[in-house]
Amino acid sequence: MEEPAIKVNRSRDGRQHGIEVSGLTFAYLTEPVLKDVSFTLEKGAIGLLGPNGSGKTTLLRCLLGQVPLSRGHVQVLGWDMAAQARAARAGLGWMPERGGVIPGMSGVALVAYMGELSGLPSRDAMQRAHEVLHYVGLADERYRSCQDYSQGMKQRLKLAQALVHDPDWLFLDEPTSGLDPRGRVSILELIRDLAWNKGLGVILSTHLLADVEAVCHEILVLRSGELLARQTVDTHTKQAKQVFEVEGFGNEEAFIADLRELGAQFEPDGRLLLVTLDLSRFPEACRPEGYDPTAGVNVILKVAKAREYALRRLRRRPVSLAEEFYRMVEA
Amino acid sequence: MPVYERGYTHWEPSGRRANPAWFVIARRGVIEPLRRRWLFLLVVMSWVPAIVKGGFIYGKLKAGNILDLMGGGWTSIEPEGFLRFMEGQRFFVFVMLAITGAGLIASDRRENGLSLYFSRPLGLLDYIGGKVLTIVTFYSLVTLLPVVALCVFSYLIAPEATGANMLLLTPLRCLVYCALSGTSIGLVLLAFSSMGTRSIFVMVWWTVLVSGTETIGAIAKGLGQNTLQAVNFLGQYHNAGSLLFGAPARLAISPWASLAIVVGWTMLALWVLRKRIRPVEVVS
Repeated sequence: MEEPAIKVNRSRDGRQHGIEVSGLTFAYLTEPVLKDVSFTLEKGAIGLLGPNGSGKTTLLRCLLGQVPLSRGHVQVLGWDMAAQARAARAGLGWMPERGGVIPGMSGVALVAYMGELSGLPSRDAMQRAHEVLHYVGLADERYRSCQDYSQGMKQRLKLAQALVHDPDWLFLDEPTSGLDPRGRVSILELIRDLAWNKGLGVILSTHLLADVEAVCHEILVLRSGELLARQTVDTHTKQAKQVFEVEGFGNEEAFIADLRELGAQFEPDGRLLLVTLDLSRFPEACRPEGYDPTAGVNVILKVAKAREYALRRLRRRPVSLAEEFYRMVEA
Repeated sequence: MPVYERGYTHWEPSGRRANPAWFVIARRGVIEPLRRRWLFLLVVMSWVPAIVKGGFIYGKLKAGNILDLMGGGWTSIEPEGFLRFMEGQRFFVFVMLAITGAGLIASDRRENGLSLYFSRPLGLLDYIGGKVLTIVTFYSLVTLLPVVALCVFSYLIAPEATGANMLLLTPLRCLVYCALSGTSIGLVLLAFSSMGTRSIFVMVWWTVLVSGTETIGAIAKGLGQNTLQAVNFLGQYHNAGSLLFGAPARLAISPWASLAIVVGWTMLALWVLRKRIRPVEVVS
């Protein structure tokens, strides 16, 4: 198939913005790294979660068209990645985890060079290089040789080179790897700004759950090359069954009996009593956007008051993404 | 708005023309090394033989054929003389290409640069084309350009030099020879560069290939083992080049056999590059 002429930022010229993957199976040698992966993504902040060796980086490489696709279909920005990967890459930015800094060049020269390779005219590439280096916070360091950069600066530089041609999608492979806490927060803020305010699609591949929680609205979970789950980050707040931590004194048997009649389940946790309520049984808890945990708190308060059970502590147990993730992976 | 207050902005195309990727790679490959002053000095030094030959051509006018006693090649303005001149430049070719070509792919592989290149809208041909053009440029700096300058100089001062020969045919022969031999040598060097991640190891292999095989060829010649001269790497290019320049064979083997060997080296290099250059490292 003849490859179309390359034109930077084609997707803003009316083409599709999304990513479609269907039946993708890929093996480097014989053992498949990705097994029948299918999903569709619209622009947004997507977290790609999975333990080491689950196929996250390989999936990103398939989306970039860097590996030959044998089985399955990948379409990015409307381009078929098996035949038109080159054209599609003009609209994609890639930040690799390892290396990615060409020695012997200054920061601004490297970013401008990458811009030119992405199809920007020479002068535009240099102008954009200055702009994005300012944006990522490397303005004062841009003329230094990038070999002398610290790890945090290298990560910012890699982000800058991924941004220089103003891509529609950014593929970030472990962008906070090797950063100190302050550097990590800082680069996550940049990524969040790009995804939430600047309209770029971001796929953030990481095994750091906190990074995903900070940036993404949706997650894809991979395990052993299979797509295990796909859910929004706030899914746990939309679940009908929610857990409440209760601690008190008084007529505990009657308190438990009344709640059991309302369908509650109990589990002791040290001094605490974990009460699981199915909020779908309470019409006042049902909202269009999910279930209101306040309704669950009110139910427990009401029962406690009726049974004269004095509460010392009552709160909804927060379900972290980490717990969800480990539950899914270990299942 | 000043750039430091602008934040992230979307790029608006300016309407200017973008350079092809192979050109961008080659330009960077040539400009970066030339920033080192000592490399610039090496280029200047590589022109010394051309200045000497120019001096001999001029001296022949003044002192007659007496200068031919010091070596006909130095005063010859026949095509063969220029082929011999380029053959004599092999030391500079060896050093220049070792310095500028050894790390071209090796350093990209060491720093995971291939992954960056192939996340851009470019293909394998752009990448290899840009790298080969870098090598051909440096190769031409020490072979083609001095020869062309000599041709022009000869045309200006030598009474027997004709415009057709000195300004057209001989420079054209040299151009074709340098383009073909430079591309082939460049591909072989790139193949070596793609097999390692350290420039120093590539330089060692390059030294073995050029100096080692030349030494073996010279010993073979001394022992009368003519067929063994086929191992002389750079010698094959000069020998095959004699076909283009209408000159006698430079080695004791047929120029056609040398041409076949050169083609073989080139195909092997292309095969290696096809296998080795990919954005993903696969470890079996």
